[in-house]
This record gives sequence, C-alpha cells and structure tokens, in this order.
Amino acid sequence: MAMTRDELNKLKQEAQSKSPRNWIRVGYSTCGVAAGAKEVLEVLTEEVQARNMDVVVKKCGCVGLCSAEPMVEVNIEGAPRVFYGKVNKEVAHRIMDEHVCQKRLVENHIYEI
Amino acid sequence: MKRILLQDTNGSLKKELRDFYVSLNSYLRDNGLTDKAQVVVVSNIGVYDKGIVAKVIPEGFVYINLQNASIPDIVQKTILNGEKIEGLVFDKKNKQMRLVLRNCGIIDPESIDDYIAHDGYQGLANALAMGPERVIEEMKRAGLRGRGGAGFPTWMKWNITRGVKGDEKYIICNGDEGDPGAYMDRSVLEGDPHSVIEGMVIGGFAMAAKHGIFYIRAEYPLAVERIQKAIDVCYTKGLLGKDIFGSGFDFDIEIRLGAGAFVCGEETALIASVEGLRGYPRPRPPFPSIKGLWGKPTAINNVETLANVPYIFLKGGEAFGKIGTEGSKGTKVFALTGKVKNSGLVEVPMGTTLREIVFDIGGGVLDNRAIKAIQTGGPSGGVIPEQFFDTPVEYESLQKLGSIMGSGGMIVMDENDCMVDISKFYLGFCVDESCGKCVPCRLGGTQMLHILKKISEGNGDLEDMVKLNQIAQAMQKASLCGLGQTAANPVLSTMKYFDDEYKAHIIDKKCPSGKCASLVSYGINKDRCTACGLCVRNCPVKAISGDRQSKYTIDMAKCIGCGNCYEVCKCSAVVRQ
Repeated sequence: MAMTRDELNKLKQEAQSKSPRNWIRVGYSTCGVAAGAKEVLEVLTEEVQARNMDVVVKKCGCVGLCSAEPMVEVNIEGAPRVFYGKVNKEVAHRIMDEHVCQKRLVENHIYEI
Repeated sequence: MKRILLQDTNGSLKKELRDFYVSLNSYLRDNGLTDKAQVVVVSNIGVYDKGIVAKVIPEGFVYINLQNASIPDIVQKTILNGEKIEGLVFDKKNKQMRLVLRNCGIIDPESIDDYIAHDGYQGLANALAMGPERVIEEMKRAGLRGRGGAGFPTWMKWNITRGVKGDEKYIICNGDEGDPGAYMDRSVLEGDPHSVIEGMVIGGFAMAAKHGIFYIRAEYPLAVERIQKAIDVCYTKGLLGKDIFGSGFDFDIEIRLGAGAFVCGEETALIASVEGLRGYPRPRPPFPSIKGLWGKPTAINNVETLANVPYIFLKGGEAFGKIGTEGSKGTKVFALTGKVKNSGLVEVPMGTTLREIVFDIGGGVLDNRAIKAIQTGGPSGGVIPEQFFDTPVEYESLQKLGSIMGSGGMIVMDENDCMVDISKFYLGFCVDESCGKCVPCRLGGTQMLHILKKISEGNGDLEDMVKLNQIAQAMQKASLCGLGQTAANPVLSTMKYFDDEYKAHIIDKKCPSGKCASLVSYGINKDRCTACGLCVRNCPVKAISGDRQSKYTIDMAKCIGCGNCYEVCKCSAVVRQ
C-alpha cells in the first residue's frame, strides 16, 4: 500500500493543522539525556497533567548547544518563545510556575541560539 | 509586556552589571512602569566582549556597551514607544545556517507526522517524479561533496555506481562516526532520522539500488533505536517497500551495527564488517562504487551527506549551489569542543572563517585564556595555529594548511595545551585503532609513538624529529587505507607550526605548557601561601604535607605532576618549573 503524492500532502496538512498553540520541547538526544533530560521531561509532563493545562510537552532532538543541556524551549501565548538551558527539576518547576502560569521569564537560564 | 534581557555569560553578575540591573529595575519602579517590562538576567545573548549587553523583546533590538545613563532612553524610547536607539544598537548577525540541522530540536524524531508537517518526504516525491538521470543532474547542479571527510562529489559517486551494469546494487549510510570529539552524525540520526532515510531512498533511486544499509556504531543505542523506529513506520506508511509513490521503485533498508572498531569507518573495512568478516580494509581499486558489498556496486555516503539530499530536492540544486563557496557548496556541521565557551554543534555556510566559528559563535576561549590552535579533522587532521584563523573553511583551504575538513570535529586548544602531548594523544588513538594488517601503519605508528614518548619524557634528541618525519612520510605513502595514510598528520602539523615547542622539550628539557609530567616540577612559595588547604584536598596521591601553621610542601618523590594543585591555588602560591 504505497503512499501517493496527494496522500502525503493531505498528511502534511493534517499534521500542520494539529500543531498545538502552546508547547514545550525538551531536547532528548544523548547529550540531553546524559545531562538529565529524563527527569525534566517527567516533571514537565506531570505538572501539565496535574494542572490540566492546554500545553503539549514533547521530545525533540538536540538544538546544538550541548554545553547547556538539558535544553527546554517554551512557547506559551502571552510570553516570548525562549530556550532555557541547564534545566534541572527545580528549574522545570520554576518554568511551569513563572513562565507558563505567570508569563514571566525565568532568570539565569535563558540562552539564545 | 516587554522583556529586557540582560546578558550574564559567566553567571556571577559582575558589579557593573549588578548596578545596571538594580538601576534599571528602580527606574521602572519609580516611574510606575513595572507592568510594562520585565528585566531578566539571561545566560547568553550571543554577543561577546561588548560590555553590558541587553536585548529588548519583542522588537529584538540588541544594545551594547550600556551605561546607567542610557536607562531613561531605553525605557522612554524603546519600552514605551518601540523606537530603536541608533547609538546603542548592535547589528547581531546570525552566522549559523541550519540546513542539515533544520529539524533537529524542532521536530519530534519519533513522529513521522511531525517530519511530514515540516516538508518531510516532499523531496523524495519530487525526485521520484524526475527520474534517475535528472536526479543525478540535480545533484551535480547542487555540487554537494561528501561530508565524511574526503569531499568526493556525491553526484559522481552515484553516477559511477549507476553506470555499472548489474541488477543488484547497494547504498550504505556510514554512521560509524569515531573521531574523538565529533558527534554531528549522532545528533542528526537522533534528532532527524527521517531526513537521512529520505536521502538514502533518493540515492538508491538515482543508481537503481534496491537495498539500503545503515551502518551505525553500537555505541549509539539511541540513534539505532530511532532509526529503527523510523524505518518501521516508513514501511507501514508505504514510504519504504514496494512501488514507492507509485513510481515502480522498490527499496528496503536494514541496520547493521558496528562493533567498536574505528577502522570500520573506512569504506572497504566497513563492507567487510557488513559481510560478517573481520573489519580489515583492502586495497583500492576496485572501488566500492564498482565492486563493493558482496562484490556488487555500492555507494557509501556519510550521514550528513544524506541529510543534505532531501533539502536539495525540496529547494532545488541551484538554490543549494548558491550557499557556500565556489568549490565547496552548502553548509558544514562542526562539533565545536575543547577549551571553548559554548561547546556544541554549529552549522555554518562553507567559507565561514575559523575565527568566526570559534569567537563569534563559540564565544571564545574558556576562562579568557589565550588560544593556541584549532584541531580539525580528528586523528586524520592537523592543528591550525592562530595566524591562519582567518582562513575560510573549505575542503581545499584546510588541506593546504596541513589539516583537513574531516567529518567535522573542531577542538579548540589554549595556552595550557602542549602540542607534543596532543600529537601523542592522536597518534596513540591511531595506534590503538590500527587493524594491524599493513606494516607501515602497524609498525610506523608504534615507532613514532615511542619517539614522541621519549621526547615528552625529556630524553629526545634533534635526530628524533628527522626520524618522525621519515616514518610519517613512509606511512603516508605506503599504508593500505586512510587510517595509516593520515595517522601522522597531527604529528606533522604540530612539528610544522610548533617546532619551538618540540625543541623546548628536546633541548631545554622543558614543557612550556606544563603538561608533560616528567618535565615539570611543582613547589609552594610559602610567602604567598595562605594555608587554605585547597591543594592538599585536590592532590590525588597525597604528595602534599604540612598544616595551617607550618604551611604546605610538595614531596616531589610522590608527585605525579598532574597539576591539580597549580590549577586550584587561588593565591598563585604553587609554582611550576
């Protein structure tokens, strides 16, 4: 059952229309995992569930700034889209409290790429 | 609400920055504007050595060399009215260009839908509609050259394999990345597996190969897992298997694991390893393009090369050919490591200078030490000293300097790195990884390593440098494969550019960088010593004795010359001779 060009384009449109408004991406390649991305991902996923928020938390590859892993990119309406680096459990909680809920950027962890 | 980002790269809020931060906040508070802007201290804005740096979001203005006096202007003009202040603004150019890493960090590597949403498999559909001849023409127009190190034009490789008669052909993706400090391929395989698969299917189509093989080193379990998942989902979606996009083209992919031998990154050894034989290289010709896996025509492409291919068929070969320089098209991903502030992956258009990569993107040297050299190309490459940092990065220009582009490792070395020690490290790596099949590599490498050890222990003489040169030339000319032919490059290039360091080891019996343990001795200057005890706690062999009253001394009979005490001492009381 080979795919046709039209089916590919339909899939593309469907996938694009489903893209979420609010999302958090966690760098989840070897560099991120080695630096502790697993527990960061767990904290963020649990928090989003516990607070029942309209935010999609997903894994992604490495953005390149390996010295600042684990990296987390946050895009929430009402606040600028930023990368946080050297994120640990505590910073992950702060991202949820300050950035996601209060729309205030978290100090000392933003990196521009 | 606007945001004012203040850059604090070392995380210690130096006094001027702290003053500025406090004054800015007070100004906002005094004028009742705290709800208009949030002041945030951030780790990095990407502008270095420009005093206090701030960025205003959402406008994106970057202001540099800020003084407290500029605060009212910034608030009144930029925060309240969105105006740019010309006297302060800095035009920050993004020197990176993400083409291979276009999806890394953006898509979920385990979701094919996410890849398709980002134009995934569109390039494949375009290529299959073009027909094989036009695919190769398009690749020729793009001018993509192999990213594994040698820089052979990819279209030519595909065209040779295509031209060989035979019903069975193979395309292999070489994911046996083994250079110390290089991990670009791992990141691409882990972050955007589908792009490599898509590139491989296009390559297979161009030369009528129906089988693709991923050769990935077993040390990359996550890469293997993600590629396998991606292959599986491609079969269920009909993007692999029979009659892809109704073109009548069938293609299958499987994964083979490397077992940890560096030499298996060499194409003939890789083929032997896939066939289940010992990973030995064999003489070329015949080249694998003509007689490769199971004696059939085989094209072997690097991970990064294949990841470029979908982009070419999405945007067109001409668009790709406009990026980079005349002889080296496109971009190159480098794994920037060593003594650099922002280590990680960088992708730049070909022709970017080494200085731009290390200083503008990498942020310069750690602890603001002086830079000594940049090593490119791993154990097959060489070191490039500072006078050549303005050289644009291209295949040929790096070769002229006695180094190579290689797969993309770039290691920054500072004044504390000893060049004899560095060449000993790289040569030692090649000696460990030499398969032992041919004499020049097996014996030549070992003998050179002996001589280097002798020099680093202070027992060398000038005759040794002549010998190193002679053996190196023999290895270059007579070794069977690339490993042996290039193993001496780090030694040759360090001898060429850092002749004085070798001579200091040989004639003065001194290691200027203090790395070669046999040539340095440490002592403690009791006048400067504050008896803090840091050196005692950091000595791994308990060679430092004494107490807070009598202060400390180093027992040179026990000392192994690691230099820990020298590094940790805050009052420069530990002296190195």
